[in-house]
Amino acid sequence: MNLIPVAVIVPLLAAALLLALEKVLPKRLADGFALLVAIFVAGLCLVISLETLDQPEAYWFGGWRIQNGVVLGIAFVADPVGAGVAAFAAILFSGTFLFAWGFFGDTGTRFHVLMLVLLAAMVGFCLTGDLFSFFVFFELMSVTAFALTAYKLESASLEGALSFTVVNTIGSFLMLAGIGLLYGRTDALNLAAIGGALDGHQADALVAMALVLILAALLIKAAAAPFHFWLADAHAVAPTPVSVIFSGIMVSIALFGAARLIWTAFAPLDQVAPAFRDLLLYLGTFSSLLGGLACLIQRHVKRLLAFSTISHVGIMLVGLAALTAPGLAGMLIYLVGHGLVKGALFMGAGILMAECQDIDEIRLRGRAKHLPLTGLTFAAGALLLAGLPLGAIHEGHHLISAAVEAQHPWIPLALALGSALTGGAVLRATGRIFLGLGPASNGEAEGPGKPEHETPGRPVWLMLIPILSFFAVACLAQGPAVTDTVLDLAQGFADHDAYGQLVLEGGSGAREPSSEGHAAPEAPSSPILPWVSVLLALLVAGLQLLRERLPAPLVWLSSLVLRPVFQGLDRLHNGRIGDYAAWLAIGLALLGGAFVLP
Amino acid sequence: MSVLPYLIAGWLFVIGLYGVVSSRNYMHLIGCLTVIQSSTYVLLLAIGYHEGRPAPIFSDHPSGPAVDPVVQALVLTDVVVGAAVSALLLTLVLQLKKRRGTLDPDELSPERD
Repeated sequence: MNLIPVAVIVPLLAAALLLALEKVLPKRLADGFALLVAIFVAGLCLVISLETLDQPEAYWFGGWRIQNGVVLGIAFVADPVGAGVAAFAAILFSGTFLFAWGFFGDTGTRFHVLMLVLLAAMVGFCLTGDLFSFFVFFELMSVTAFALTAYKLESASLEGALSFTVVNTIGSFLMLAGIGLLYGRTDALNLAAIGGALDGHQADALVAMALVLILAALLIKAAAAPFHFWLADAHAVAPTPVSVIFSGIMVSIALFGAARLIWTAFAPLDQVAPAFRDLLLYLGTFSSLLGGLACLIQRHVKRLLAFSTISHVGIMLVGLAALTAPGLAGMLIYLVGHGLVKGALFMGAGILMAECQDIDEIRLRGRAKHLPLTGLTFAAGALLLAGLPLGAIHEGHHLISAAVEAQHPWIPLALALGSALTGGAVLRATGRIFLGLGPASNGEAEGPGKPEHETPGRPVWLMLIPILSFFAVACLAQGPAVTDTVLDLAQGFADHDAYGQLVLEGGSGAREPSSEGHAAPEAPSSPILPWVSVLLALLVAGLQLLRERLPAPLVWLSSLVLRPVFQGLDRLHNGRIGDYAAWLAIGLALLGGAFVLP
Repeated sequence: MSVLPYLIAGWLFVIGLYGVVSSRNYMHLIGCLTVIQSSTYVLLLAIGYHEGRPAPIFSDHPSGPAVDPVVQALVLTDVVVGAAVSALLLTLVLQLKKRRGTLDPDELSPERD
């Protein structure tokens, strides 16, 4: 039996079963059942990943293959990278189900059903080799995510879900229009067939437009500036277990999807538009800085973490936009490291909401002193986000910086600054909440009106298990062995011709062992950069916490410079869907303009 | 082939997006969103259309050249997805109206977070 489709079918069937038997089964059974399914899917995807290590494998649904050069069926193409990302998603889901044990108490099984469908959509998204089913899984992912965001049905979560839904739905329409245009040009929906039809041709205006539309949709999902506005609204108000998945994988998986499309279908991309590549680099860098700055003015801890996600996904976008295998490898390692750390931080915020019944940094000041282990994980997460040279985030960051350093020496500096700002903001929150440091109020934006809380009385040790194991993996996944393996896999992933041969000609698709070895990343130009970034984070946190003890002129001067920036940022992120849609249009025009302008 | 359907698709997209940007009522905003969606229908159908060819249904006439059924299948899928999204959005708006008593973004935005 072929395992590839099973990884999607199992969570879908499990969701259907759970929904059908909702009335019959004991209430708490859903927690354990969903956890088992997620672990099973993780294991299955890992097996697929290992089995396809030497040779990716295509699976044709219903046995419909290719006749007379026309692709008739829909294919899944399993390769180690795609299956690996799917496995990572399933691992995050497993941790989340464990964390959410008892979270939804007696409110039925709807949460588990939606989460399992979301998992199925993510696995399908990673494995599919067909552009239209790519869209369908993308859309399935979105719709379940919309419903999960609004799960609490409070007015804040409803508004967050509304802007999330409207902006992302426009994105889906863009993607569909792009798919239509591409189909009109190539007569194909299979990714390899599209790639084959575009190969050797100069991409014309139509293909360029299709690419812009599809990429815009993926960038909306990945929350790259100026498409990022919905993210903070949605991630801050969703139930914490849902936020873990959103920030941990759902945002970054869109970038993985973009990588898949670029290397299978749009291989002629870099003949077309070096300008386009530069624009993506700038957007990524800009997101990183913007997210970092916006972090500093948040007092809603989950909103703060959401902005830091924007910043770090910006860094991943830079890795993708380098359009090289090492850049891609950096993005993949970063995706795993960031997903684990950010997931763990959101879970930490969930512990605060359960134990202290609030999520507002100012009101929580000094109130979490009885949760030392949670505080430690917050501090550790902050340092890892800031760029501490340890673990997967650093490894990925290093590869990404090395990939763009030669052409844009300033980008690694900007990325380090972005990381430092997010790390500093999380450190500041840690200091205030867990140690009671800092003034009882300061320049942060207006706080939430009433305390938000989540199901109390869940065992803290149980919630700490996934947090600690996520941290352990994020810290241990480093070293030359990891880097070399992922570099090797990324090179196979980026091999456009081998993919086409495998799918279209049923060829072996086996990768020739790269004879000359892969371009090993050069030593970082400045090995002290991560430390500078960590120091900066400490400085930022210290300055914000010790405001009252600083000399008055210094405070006056800093607020003179920074206040307008922060006020402007706060005004931009105003929760108005109309404004968000206008920014979306501007972003679309930017992407289109990058093609038109020389 | 006529360029008119493509112009219409573009126009529907632009006017729908303008509606979303300038909307003063969430219910109206959802309507505008479906206008954007219609633009994708028009675009997809225009891509598969061939002048003078019949519909791709061969039960009552011999098979031969027909308009492209693939894009029609895409449109059908999209209609289903669109219905799900609209239903979800309308539910959200309904709940919001119950809790806040208004659907005007201007009156809603002050109390965020």
